[in-house]
Amino acid sequence: MSARVRKLVMFPVAFAFVAAAWEGYKAIGPANGGRLLGMRLLPRTNSRTMPHVWEMVSRLGRPEVRGGKQTILSVVTAATWYSFRVAFTAFVIGAVLGVAVAVLMARFRLVERGLMPYLIMSQTVPIIVLGPLIIGLMAYGSRDLVSKTWIAATLLGVFLAFFPVAVATLRGLQSTPPASMELMDSLASPWWRTLSKLRFPAAVPFIAPSLRIAGASAVVGVVVAEISLGIRAGVGRLILSYGQEATSDPPKLYTAVFGAAALGLVMALVVAVIDRQMMRRHPPEGV
Amino acid sequence: MDTAVPNPAVVVSGVRKVFNRGATNQVDALIDIDFTVQRGEFVSLIGPSGCGKSTLLRLIADLIEPTDGTLVVNGKPAHQARLDQDYGIASQHSGLFDWRTVERNIELPLELKGWDKSRRRARSAEMLALVKLSEFATHMPWQLSGGMQQRVAIARALAAHAELLLMDEPFGALDEMTREHMQAELLRICSETGTTVVFVTHSIPEAVYLADRVVVMSPRPGRITAMVDVGLGRDRSELTREATEFFDRVTEVREALRGTHVGDPIMGVDDR
Repeated sequence: MSARVRKLVMFPVAFAFVAAAWEGYKAIGPANGGRLLGMRLLPRTNSRTMPHVWEMVSRLGRPEVRGGKQTILSVVTAATWYSFRVAFTAFVIGAVLGVAVAVLMARFRLVERGLMPYLIMSQTVPIIVLGPLIIGLMAYGSRDLVSKTWIAATLLGVFLAFFPVAVATLRGLQSTPPASMELMDSLASPWWRTLSKLRFPAAVPFIAPSLRIAGASAVVGVVVAEISLGIRAGVGRLILSYGQEATSDPPKLYTAVFGAAALGLVMALVVAVIDRQMMRRHPPEGV
Repeated sequence: MDTAVPNPAVVVSGVRKVFNRGATNQVDALIDIDFTVQRGEFVSLIGPSGCGKSTLLRLIADLIEPTDGTLVVNGKPAHQARLDQDYGIASQHSGLFDWRTVERNIELPLELKGWDKSRRRARSAEMLALVKLSEFATHMPWQLSGGMQQRVAIARALAAHAELLLMDEPFGALDEMTREHMQAELLRICSETGTTVVFVTHSIPEAVYLADRVVVMSPRPGRITAMVDVGLGRDRSELTREATEFFDRVTEVREALRGTHVGDPIMGVDDR
């Protein structure tokens, strides 16, 4: 079996395992939860907390609200697609910004010294606080909030995505082999041409993996922003509002969770393709 | 060799190099370096590890600046020669770019000179033919053996019509068989192109086999202690390696090196 076929087969197999584990625990776990090491750790297995897998899946095919026309599948898909576009925009802007900041830091030692502490510090700010802060700043002088909340979500995604890219790119730019730098010097190459012909391509093996982290971070930033800002269209908002119906319609919440999981998966897939494209000229691992 | 040629390839006069000057870890790397390389000449620099022979090469290349003295390359200051790409450089770590095909590696100096694509491609094809790697033009460097990579590096160094080749132990990482083959190839390439070479090595037989003249250096602070004229002529083959004159010159270089090191074993010099 070729590696590619094996990957394709493993995908549904992994899903089946998760579903089996879910149903398995549901079959043997305590209905009203249990204690482990003196703490209430074991989740309840009653159908309010843990609906059957098939209940969740079949819920996707039924209308979102009783008597409504739209199935929940189409609502979740639309919301996920919306969130994906916001997250992908955030990822792209974040990656470009990260590379730009790293290039500046590599060019001017002063910028690196001055900026790096702030970059590191910036990542310690709890993002849940930042959403309302950004909205607050944007709303200043503007009443048109609703149409702008997606910008706030994008900004939050950018904020999370650019950091790993900036750090990895800087490390990559600083790891150029000295012998190659000397070669470019011997060719009297100006700084920016050494950057484009040597340092940047040599940094790609550092940058590519950081994009995977950036993609995941952008998703987290956007979903958290949607939840904390209550953006109507996104999948984050669906998790919030379906969660409020969890007592009357338990499987509904999980359909939104499916959407969020799909969002993360699609982003990972897109970034993996970008990664492979970037690395196609570089030697494969172990050469 | 006609030493009366008015415009030598390299003139080094009164060069001294001190690293970390004034600091506690100050190192006197080179003192009183004077020598001239004529056009078309092949000069080997040999000496024990840390004698500053690579430093001297990098001074000629204007990759570092001398503390005192002057370096004239191709009739102009070393700095101007570097800006004009008057020399090509090749070192032990071939420094080929992994993400470029073999031909695009060779074209790198030409890109920096602003040649257009078709002219670059024509020149890289010419260089690939010279180093006998034409069928590997579109391979990636990591698909080639070490010796082939060195040949690509030489092709790259000569691509921009450099008449001077500066080499820092280029064959140091190769096995003995490949190394001897590469030495023969280098001599062939040089005689076909008329290139001047300054070649740093720590192998006595390599220095003698390749060079018209061997410059022997002392341990730190590095200075030139002897110049050995090899005088084996330009037609060298595998037979040269077994000739009596060859062994005589090897002995002469070895004794010159030992003279700098009475009683001690010669550290870092390869007797193979």
